[in-house]
Amino acid sequence: MTTFVFRNQTVEALWGYNAVTYSGYDDISQVPATADRYIWCYQVPVNPDSNQLAMEIASYRDKLDLVLDGVEASKPFIILSLVNLFPLRFTGNDTAVSEAIADFNRHAVELSRQRPNVKWVDFSDFTSRYDAESLINWKYYLMSQSLLNPKLTHDFQAWWQRVEGEMAMQRKKCLVLDLDNTLWGGVLGEDGVDGIQLGGDYPGKAYSYWQSALLQLSRSGVILAVCSKNNEADVIEAWEKNPHMVLKREHFSALRINWQDKATNITDIAAELNIGLDSMVFLDDNPAERELVKQLLPQVEVPDFPTKPYLLMPFFKLLVEKYFRIYSVTKEDLTKTEQYRSNALRRAEQSRFADLDQFLYSLDMQLDVIPADEHNLPRIAQMTQKTNQFNLTTRRYTEADVQQRLDQGWHVYCVRVSDRFGDSGITGAMFLQPVSGEEVNIDTLLLSCRILGKGIEDAFVKTVLNLLRLDGYRKLMADYIPTAKNGQTADFYDRLGMVCVNEDKDGTKHYVMPLSGVFEIKNCYNIRVL
Amino acid sequence: MNLKDKVLEIMRKTFEMDEVSTDASQKNCENWDSLHHLMLASELEDAFDIDLEPEEIAEMTDFSKVVAMLESKM
Repeated sequence: MTTFVFRNQTVEALWGYNAVTYSGYDDISQVPATADRYIWCYQVPVNPDSNQLAMEIASYRDKLDLVLDGVEASKPFIILSLVNLFPLRFTGNDTAVSEAIADFNRHAVELSRQRPNVKWVDFSDFTSRYDAESLINWKYYLMSQSLLNPKLTHDFQAWWQRVEGEMAMQRKKCLVLDLDNTLWGGVLGEDGVDGIQLGGDYPGKAYSYWQSALLQLSRSGVILAVCSKNNEADVIEAWEKNPHMVLKREHFSALRINWQDKATNITDIAAELNIGLDSMVFLDDNPAERELVKQLLPQVEVPDFPTKPYLLMPFFKLLVEKYFRIYSVTKEDLTKTEQYRSNALRRAEQSRFADLDQFLYSLDMQLDVIPADEHNLPRIAQMTQKTNQFNLTTRRYTEADVQQRLDQGWHVYCVRVSDRFGDSGITGAMFLQPVSGEEVNIDTLLLSCRILGKGIEDAFVKTVLNLLRLDGYRKLMADYIPTAKNGQTADFYDRLGMVCVNEDKDGTKHYVMPLSGVFEIKNCYNIRVL
Repeated sequence: MNLKDKVLEIMRKTFEMDEVSTDASQKNCENWDSLHHLMLASELEDAFDIDLEPEEIAEMTDFSKVVAMLESKM
């Protein structure tokens, strides 16, 4: 992937020269169409004349608009916000420069809302970590026109990598929490339901803030789970009776409150929620417990826990920035806790039925098969980034990548699933690449793990194949590319009736099948094609 | 590690090159352009905990002059 950077200062040290090219200083005359993506990184120049500087900054807005009009709408365009690294004012009420900066930044945010390919990055998220003296190194600035201190280059690169991860929607999925001296102060078994530190004055107040912050984190789509050595009955009583408890039973998608070792418990939680250990973060105030989990489950992130309750809020900020922040959340993220809980209810129900079909029928499942559009595109791209287990080819796509493929005539479908226990939202996608007039290739087929076990994959794929046949396609091709995580799909195409014509050394299998008749689908699904 | 080896290591990292020889100079080393020169100066300041004046940075045009400058600072 090649990147083109628009800039008005020396910024080569920040992104290097590897597949990155730079505009001239404040030069927008060239907008190379060959670049795969663009970055707009302007800095506020040093100019003691504030009116002149404000006009200069106002011109950046117009230039940005001009550039954006010349860029293909499917290519990612990242705008860094403007930060005044050297604010200089002769009178306290001279706001010309700060208003011009605010105006540019508001405009950038507005652009990111109007255009799906534009993303806005808050540069102050980086600069606010440093004091004014360390942001600019005047010696290097005057020698190189590089406003940002070269000593911060490595820090910037680490920060930028995280920003890229946020934009690719990569985050940890689940936060596993200890209880005593982690969610509240004190030990429940010794201090009692009303004796633990929670609410009221310090230190209880610190734990209230912390719990409120964790609640908001869960509302952004991070799943919370409990792994604690307590008597479960004591904990349930505390959840029900302690009036200061912000996080209660319903906020946790899985519980392991017992005296078993925590590594085993965390492995169980991962299996119950159907997520990988490498998408979990574990918090515990006890260094011995942390060490055990680190040793036995190296895939799990185990940050150090603050030793003082008043350090919980800054710790929370670090936690979010390091593991959980993403560029934007989708509707599915927002209801995740609920979905994982209704899965547990479904499993309880399943045991009541003699055979699977009878159970599936009782779920009253609704499947909506929807062609990709501007509303579901972010979710489809997000699923390609995050889905590992039921993913036949594990190809990762950005929103812009998906748009590009649609523009090339690909068929992209997603599936929305609901049943009488709740709405799971958009949880599957299929990308079909036309090869010739009659041949079509399954480039991507994926389903979120939390809806598996109900035959939905079969119904979804067959519905799409029936649509393709109506579109005039007569031959289907597909690949299975093995990864460390998608073993459960290794024979999916075999079961569908496809013929494996070739297997590569790396285990990739190539399949074909004629699209001749209608695929029969079990009648336990209400299927709509929208 | 002696001074020369340490300088070579910093040069390899800064210039993103697998090998940098003791004959390297701004003239014969492709990646040693003006921007990388400043990055090198900044890295040397950090590694040896010294301050280099702009005039001194301008003088360090090849490997032996870099080493001589560092020796005079320590």
